[in-house]
Amino acid sequence: MAENLSWLFYAYGIGWGLIFLYLFWISRREQTLRKQIAKLNSFLNERERRG
Amino acid sequence: MGYIGIGMVEDFDEKPALPIWLIGLTAGSMIIALYLIFVWVSTERTMGLIQRIFYFHVPAAAVSFFAAFVGGIASILYLKTRDSRYDDLSLAANESILVFETINIVMGSLWAKRVWGIWWTWDARLTSSFLLLLIYVAYVLVRRSMEGEQRATLCAVICIFGMADIPMIYMSNRLFRTQHPAPVLGGDENSGLAPDMLLTLLAANVAMLMLWWCVIRVRRRVARLERAAEGLTRRTFEAADYQET
Repeated sequence: MAENLSWLFYAYGIGWGLIFLYLFWISRREQTLRKQIAKLNSFLNERERRG
Repeated sequence: MGYIGIGMVEDFDEKPALPIWLIGLTAGSMIIALYLIFVWVSTERTMGLIQRIFYFHVPAAAVSFFAAFVGGIASILYLKTRDSRYDDLSLAANESILVFETINIVMGSLWAKRVWGIWWTWDARLTSSFLLLLIYVAYVLVRRSMEGEQRATLCAVICIFGMADIPMIYMSNRLFRTQHPAPVLGGDENSGLAPDMLLTLLAANVAMLMLWWCVIRVRRRVARLERAAEGLTRRTFEAADYQET
């Protein structure tokens, strides 16, 4: 029974781990994209100002 | 300030990807499902505690199937209408299949090791499930390596293959009696679940679907940001080219 419990723990741990890993990846990607967009925006605004 | 990215990013800030009511509903349904799985439901007589993997393994598969249809239909609608919202939904749904189908396969494999004594076997159900995972790995690879019309068309074709695999998975252990157990729901006259197990499975399905919905909303938002970044990058290159000439 105790052995089954540890297998159950591993299974649910992996399941939840994969979901949280994916959510973490999405949040990192959002941060990176926001920075990239801000950089590109400031570059294009600068160019527009200079004409 | 007419750049595509600026307005879109402001929109995202005003509207959170996950409204508070959705977070509350998801957390509530997940807590109820976990309580039912680990405290309330009776332990299966033959397999014991390990059978409780069933309440995460099956909902993960169900969500993958649902996501394949949502992603496939959104992909086809995008091809028809060229409305980028369908493309974002398609990307979010199809990418989520990788996560939920991997959970389904990994949890099934752990369960199999304890009950059958093997990690894996190439029976009809397992092979068709693995094929689904491979189809969506191909989708993500194509999505990242191509651009424009060609990408949309090829992705829609892959999605159609993905959707076609779902009935194959569903029917696999109904048509072929191999290693994977016969279906407990919608099977022959000997199939069925005890009422408490059925209720727990339904609660786990609802909780998993809510969680999937949260994932989809967050991923769709990032897909919109990706599009904004692509547009701005293109404009930056165009501006640089213009200056050079």
